[in-house]
Amino acid sequence: MTVTTEMPTAPLMEVRDVAVHFGGVKAVDGISMKLEPGAIYGVLGPNGSGKSTLLGAMTRLTPMTRGAFVFEGTDYTRKPARAVHRMGIARTFQTVRLLEDRSVRDNVLLGVDAVGRSQRKEAAAQVSDVLERLGILEIEALRPDELSYGMQRRVEFARAIISRPRLLLLDEPTAGMNSAEREEIGGLMRQLLAEGITQFIVEHDVQMMVDTCDRLYAMNFGKLIAEGTPTEVVRHPAVQEAYLGKGAGQHA
Amino acid sequence: MSTWYDMNVILIQTTLTTLLLALSIQVPLRFGVFSFAGVGAFGIGGYTAAIAMVRFEWSTWPAVALGALLAGAITLLVGLVVQRLTGLYMGMATIAFTLIVSVLAVNGGDWTGGAMGLYGALGEISIPQLAVVVLVVVGLLQLTELSSMGRRVDAVRDDPELANAVGVNVVLYRRMSFLVSGLIGGLAGAMTTLLRTTITPAEVNFHLVIVSLTAIVVGGSRSWVGALIGSIIFVWLPTWIAFVAEWEKVAYGFIVAAAAIYLPNGVLGVIKDGWHRFRTRDERARAAAVAEEA
Repeated sequence: MTVTTEMPTAPLMEVRDVAVHFGGVKAVDGISMKLEPGAIYGVLGPNGSGKSTLLGAMTRLTPMTRGAFVFEGTDYTRKPARAVHRMGIARTFQTVRLLEDRSVRDNVLLGVDAVGRSQRKEAAAQVSDVLERLGILEIEALRPDELSYGMQRRVEFARAIISRPRLLLLDEPTAGMNSAEREEIGGLMRQLLAEGITQFIVEHDVQMMVDTCDRLYAMNFGKLIAEGTPTEVVRHPAVQEAYLGKGAGQHA
Repeated sequence: MSTWYDMNVILIQTTLTTLLLALSIQVPLRFGVFSFAGVGAFGIGGYTAAIAMVRFEWSTWPAVALGALLAGAITLLVGLVVQRLTGLYMGMATIAFTLIVSVLAVNGGDWTGGAMGLYGALGEISIPQLAVVVLVVVGLLQLTELSSMGRRVDAVRDDPELANAVGVNVVLYRRMSFLVSGLIGGLAGAMTTLLRTTITPAEVNFHLVIVSLTAIVVGGSRSWVGALIGSIIFVWLPTWIAFVAEWEKVAYGFIVAAAAIYLPNGVLGVIKDGWHRFRTRDERARAAAVAEEA
């Protein structure tokens, strides 16, 4: 489970000097990362630090200014957003985005509607399993507006994992959840990891990140300010400063 | 039964052609494209079929096919030009296309018969033949509403970014909606023209946008079934409310306004919601109980 940087295998995902500028605003400003398979990575940062923009760029939904993304040895920087999903990268969104007029089951199946026919058939056979694991099998015929927020989040999760991605990008997966629901989602992430799904989480909740991630990055003002194990990163003076303001570092 | 049929042949025929026209507007709406180019396609299809029959002495079905194909091709080209526009701007650009078609019809000289239009396009289309064409169109559209295709279309309309993120080629789907809209609109125009044997520029105008849009708003915009319900209501309404006499247009206006306000998803939406509630009553009770505990 722990990541050794000397591992000779090729990284699952490589982020090379990526920048996203909106006019004069440097939302992401020269980020490089290497994600090895078999770990949960987290990007920590206050609101507006550029972490969600980075995730948007990784899925090619947000146009980037410079840099490159390499997934399993393939540079997909110039590929359209729809190709990213087919490569084996799935994502969830910061806000719940479900089809209003569709049932829970339909919303989950949408996750494999645009992949190859054989993969779609395989996934369709497993959809009840996925629903069951997320505790939404009993409500599979309901529509999103009939569900609680936590349940809607689970539907999004199910839609992201039904395609069996090799890399799962999670944009604030526990936002708006209560602590019991958070723990449940954390447990689910560990379980998915055991099944071979590498995860990349963007989040500002420090406790959740420390509990769940194997390796952390910290971002502020579009740049990486720290990198390492969760404890190392949380104790890092630059991170303390970003979260608590100047001078807070000494009390850690 | 057969006397009823004989008495209402024209209304049945108009219901079917109105349904085709309404579908040509509904298809792009289902893909999230606010396009009225289907009405321009109606004009192109109608004039093409009439010219093929009157000037070149083609027979009925080749003329209909030519009208539909030409309208489909031209509407696709219009789609490629305006595809970057959204919402109202898309609506305006495609209405402009419709107006251009009617201006060309007025100024087409001998080809289009000018303001007088074309006469004597004596098509031979029976109601059963028309019904078969409509069935084929509706059957093909049904495939786009079912299972995986239906979900992809819903995603393209409701959340294009999400559609992209799950691998759907949103741009391609939207382009295809122009092609399908043009083919169906052209088919509607060609068959309407050959059934009436005439076409004039006055018949290819803005009022067709209103007719098709109201049918969709009242019937339901998400499925061909909604377009069918709306077409039936608006073609048969005058016979049902004959007692209001000269107040017919006022009654019409009230029905459309009431539907827009109280039935945002049309008559079909009400039926579907009702069915959904009935079918999921146990599950909703269970979900509510779980929410209570938490």
